[in-house]
Amino acid sequence: MALGLTLAILGGALACILGGIGSAIGVGLAGQASSGVMSEDPGKFGSLLLLVALPGTQGIYGFLSAFLVILKIGLTTGTIPKLTVFNGWQILVACLPVAFAGLVSGIHQGKVCASGVYMVAKQPKDLMKPVIMAALVETYAVLGLLITILLLNGIRL
Amino acid sequence: MALAEVKRVQIVAYSHLKTELLSSLQESGLVQLEEANFEEFDLASSSPEASEHEHLLHRLKQALDYFSGQEEKGFLKRLFTQKPSLHYQKRKEVLDFDFRSVLDELEKLEADKNELLGEIKFLERERDFLSPLKELSLPVSSVETTDSTEIVLGSMPLSQFEELQKLAEEEAIWFEIIHQDKRQIHLLVFYLKKEQTQLEQSLKELNFTRLYFTEPIMSLAQVKDRVGDVREKIRKEIEGKRKDVEALDGERRRLAVYREKLMQVHDVLLNERERILSARLLGETERVFYLEGWIRSFDVDRLKNKLKPYFDETQIYFRPPLPEESPPSILENPKPSQPFEVVTKLYGLPQRGSLDPTLPLAPFFFLFVGLCVSEAGYGLIVTLLSLLYIKFAKPKGGLLLFLKLLTLLGISTVILGTLVGGWFGFPIRQLMILDPLQDPLSFLILALALGFIQVWFGTLLKLIDGIKNKNILQSIFVQGGWLLLLPSLVVYLLTKQFLWGILSLVGAAGIVFFASPSRNPLARFFGGLYSLYDISRYLADVLSYSRLLALGLATSVIAMVVNTLCQTALGIPWVGWLLAALIFLGGHLFNLAISYLGGFVHSMRLQFVEFFSKFFRSGGKPFQPFEMESRFIEFI
Repeated sequence: MALGLTLAILGGALACILGGIGSAIGVGLAGQASSGVMSEDPGKFGSLLLLVALPGTQGIYGFLSAFLVILKIGLTTGTIPKLTVFNGWQILVACLPVAFAGLVSGIHQGKVCASGVYMVAKQPKDLMKPVIMAALVETYAVLGLLITILLLNGIRL
Repeated sequence: MALAEVKRVQIVAYSHLKTELLSSLQESGLVQLEEANFEEFDLASSSPEASEHEHLLHRLKQALDYFSGQEEKGFLKRLFTQKPSLHYQKRKEVLDFDFRSVLDELEKLEADKNELLGEIKFLERERDFLSPLKELSLPVSSVETTDSTEIVLGSMPLSQFEELQKLAEEEAIWFEIIHQDKRQIHLLVFYLKKEQTQLEQSLKELNFTRLYFTEPIMSLAQVKDRVGDVREKIRKEIEGKRKDVEALDGERRRLAVYREKLMQVHDVLLNERERILSARLLGETERVFYLEGWIRSFDVDRLKNKLKPYFDETQIYFRPPLPEESPPSILENPKPSQPFEVVTKLYGLPQRGSLDPTLPLAPFFFLFVGLCVSEAGYGLIVTLLSLLYIKFAKPKGGLLLFLKLLTLLGISTVILGTLVGGWFGFPIRQLMILDPLQDPLSFLILALALGFIQVWFGTLLKLIDGIKNKNILQSIFVQGGWLLLLPSLVVYLLTKQFLWGILSLVGAAGIVFFASPSRNPLARFFGGLYSLYDISRYLADVLSYSRLLALGLATSVIAMVVNTLCQTALGIPWVGWLLAALIFLGGHLFNLAISYLGGFVHSMRLQFVEFFSKFFRSGGKPFQPFEMESRFIEFI
C-alpha cells in the first residue's frame, strides 16, 4: 500500500512546509523592521530579537506535527509501515489544520510583530504589549496544532 | 485584593526650611508631590533654575561614559556587577571632593588628544601627497623659480602625455618624469620665463595641474633634503605624536581611580537637581510655602517621624482623597503573590475602586505556565539560574520582582513537569498522573476545567466588585445568575439530571430579568434574553484554555525530538558522543527558551483576555514618589 504511505508522508511534509513558509515570511517581516530600528539604536537588539523570533513558532508547530506523523506511521522503526489508502488520506487531512493555520497566522503575526517593533522603537518600556498582541494572532496556530494532534491521536491504524 | 489606602498630605512651612524639608521628603521617598492648588489660596508659583547642575551632570555623564567604554569586562562579569553604594546621609560630603578639577583634567586631556589626532591626520595627508613625488631627483628646496627659468612640479592624466611630448618638441619646454601610474603622471617641468603666459595656457589645455610644496613641508625640509628625507621626517613626527596620544590615553586611564567618586557626585547632583526642580510644584507666599502630595496611609507615621525636627515650624495635614480626585493606585499584596504584580502592571494598574487582580490571578498563572512548559528539567534550570542571579547580582526593584516570578514559575514547572511531562524529554512514569501524549483527551478536559474555574471565578469577582460599588441587585441576579447557570448547565449536559436543569433555568431567569435595566418591561425582557447570548462568549473563553494542552504537548514533543536526534547522532562512529552532547545541550536550551516564551505569553493572554475581561477595570495612575534616584550608585 505505497499510496497510503505516500499520502501520510505528504501530510507531514505539508505541515512542515506551510508552517515553515508562514514563519519564514513572518520572521522576515519583523526582521526587516527591526534592522531598520537598530540602524538608529543598536542597543535595542535584545528586546527586538524577542519580537522577531515570535512568528517563528508556526514553523516549529509544523515541524512538530510532521514529527508526530513520522512516529505515528513508524518511519523510524526501520520496517516499511503498512498503511491503507484511507489511513493515508486521514493522516494527510489531519495535518491540514496546523499547516494552513500556521501559514496564514505566521504571516499576519509577522505583520503585528513588525509594527510592534516600531512601537518598541518609540516606547521601549512597553515591550510586552506588542508581544501579547502577537500572541493573539498565534492563538489560531495553537488551535490548529491542537486539532492536528487530537486528530492524529484519534486515527486508528 | 484591594488597593493600598492613600491619603492627601498637605504641608505648610516657613520659606527658609524649603531646601531642608524637600531634602527630607526626598530621602524618605514616601510622598508623591502634586502641583499645589495655587488659585484656591492665591499662591505664587516659582520656576526654579538648575542649569548649572544640568551642565555639570552632562560633563560627568560624558566622563563616566568614557570610563565605562574603557572597561574591559566579560558579559557575565558585567551581569553580576553590583552598583557601588552610598549612605544617603553622607551625600553632602561627596561634593567636597574636587570633582571639577578631575573633570577639567579629563576634558583637557581629551582636547589635547583630539588636537594631536588632527595634526596626525594633516601630516598623513602631506605624506600621501609626497608619495608619488619621492623619486624627484632635486632637493625640495631647489624647486623654485630662477631668474630666467620656471621650474614647476605637476601632474597630468596619462592620456594627455603624448600631447606634452609633441609640445616639448615644438616649444622651449623640457620635462622629467618623476612617477607614472595607470592614470596619472607626475612631472617636473622647465620652461623659459619669457614664454610663461603662452606655455602655461598650453599646459592648462593638457589638464596639467601644478603642485606646490606646502608650508609645513618646506619648513621641515633642510637645504639638501630630498622628498624621501622629508617623508622620513614626517613619518617620525607622526610616530612621535602617536606616542603622545598613547601617553595621554594612559593619563586618562589613570584618572579612572576617580571613577567611583564621579559616579557618586553624578548621582548626588542628579538628586539635587530633582530637588531644586521639585520646587516648581510648591505654592509660595513671602514667608511660607505650601506643598501637596499623596502618601500611603500606612506611611503617615513614618513621614511624621521623618519631619519631627521641623515640627515647631511646620504644619502637616492628612485627609482622605476627595471623590473628584484621582489618587495613584498602589498594589498591596502578601509576599508570596507580590511577584505576580509584574503581570498586573503589564496590563495596567487598577482604577480607583476596582479590585487588584494580582492575588486572584497568581495561582492560575502559576499553574498555567507550569502546564505550558511541563518540562521539569527546564523548570529546575530556570529556578536555579534566577536564584543564583538574585544571590550574586542583588538586583532591585522591578528586576528583582521579575526574577522572583521566574523562580516561582520554575518551581511550578518542576512540579507539573514531573506530573504530566518529563525530565529533559524522559518521562518518569511512576510519578506521572497523566501522559498527554498517550491520553490527550483527559489533558484537554483538565485544561478546559481549569479554564472553566477561572472564568467562573472571574464572574464571582465581578459580583463582589458590583456589590462593593453599591450595584447590589443587578450584580446578584445577573452575575449570580451566571454563577449558577454555568456549572449547573455543565452538570445537566453531562448527567441529564432534572434538578440541574431547573437550577440552570433559575440562573437564566435572573439574567433575563435583570441584565437589561430598561423600564419598559418588554425591552427589559428581550434585552435580558439577548444577554443570555453571552453564553457563547463564556464557551469561547473556556475553549481558549485548550492552548494549555497544545503548548504543553509542543514542549514534550520537541524535547523528545531532541533526544531522538541525539540517539541517531550516537550511532555515528568516533565523534558520535560529542555530536550527541552538542545536540542535547543546544536543542534543550532552544526548547527551554521558546517554551518559556510561549508559556509566559500565552498564560498572560489568558489572564488579560479571558480573566480580566470579566471584572477588571484598569486605568489607574502609578505611584511615583519623590525619592532618591540612582543611576550609577545605590543609595542605602
